[in-house]
Amino acid sequence: MSARQAIQVGTKTVKPVLSSSQGEARSRVLSLYKAWYRQIPYLVKDFDIPKSDEQCRAKLKEIFLKNKDVTDIRVIDILVIKGQMELKESVKMWKQKGHIMAYFKPTEEPKPKDFLSKFFSSNE
Amino acid sequence: MFKVISHTANLTRSQLSRSLPAFSTSATRLAGDPTSRKEAPIIDNESVLTLPEKAKERKALDTAIVVPVKVDLSPITGVPEEHVKTRRVRIYQPAKNAMQSGTNNIHHWEMEFDTRQRWENPLMGWTSTGDPLSNMKVQFSSPDEAIEHCEKNGWIWYLDIPKTEKQFKPKNYGVNFSWNRRTRVSTK
Repeated sequence: MSARQAIQVGTKTVKPVLSSSQGEARSRVLSLYKAWYRQIPYLVKDFDIPKSDEQCRAKLKEIFLKNKDVTDIRVIDILVIKGQMELKESVKMWKQKGHIMAYFKPTEEPKPKDFLSKFFSSNE
Repeated sequence: MFKVISHTANLTRSQLSRSLPAFSTSATRLAGDPTSRKEAPIIDNESVLTLPEKAKERKALDTAIVVPVKVDLSPITGVPEEHVKTRRVRIYQPAKNAMQSGTNNIHHWEMEFDTRQRWENPLMGWTSTGDPLSNMKVQFSSPDEAIEHCEKNGWIWYLDIPKTEKQFKPKNYGVNFSWNRRTRVSTK
């Protein structure tokens, strides 16, 4: 039997996590984005990372846009809560330089895409 | 001076307090001697719950929201993207242990991930793998539960249903000579 997806359509009524509407969730996301955006110069200075403000802003935008297709209000709320926790960890210096640099994945080697390079790296 | 202090205090109370460098929040700076710091006043639970902002929060939580039935938790589970999008889950019923006759431990459904690269570890000759999900087996009481779990986590899944058993047909030589069978050719 081949792979398939269960079809689930329709809506259901549930308890909210934080926001009671799409607009409220959106404003939470925007205020979190602004808080991060304004904190970036201080993060760059405090953590002394080898990145410029512009690079950090681009990364911030990339990380936020990664979840742009999330529509469930509860999932958005949890994402906002997690983002706030990360911001607090950064601001309070509970994180270290490596934790901030981990967003940029500097040590991660790109995975081989085509057949030959996959074969040479003997992967899969 | 007081005005300035009260203004910055108001600012720090706002939503964007973390973004303001007005008060350093780094661990290197301690706000005065911690031993002489006065503790916050103790407020009992009842009075906290009647605060306007708390009441508003509770009211918001009492309301209900409408969300799509299909839930995708993959953005918040923390599972790396390569282990969500490229993995395939097999949902199956475990087979009976061939060396034992007990069947009480197979009345459930399991899910397991597809196999990734394994190699012989040169240290002791054991088998190694870099796959964090290689040994993860989760048990469910029904395939529907397993499917729902996979859908929630964004994994591609497939049901591995065993072939249905043949119906037991008792052998009977006598039926060949039954009155309604056309096998009794000699006497019709």
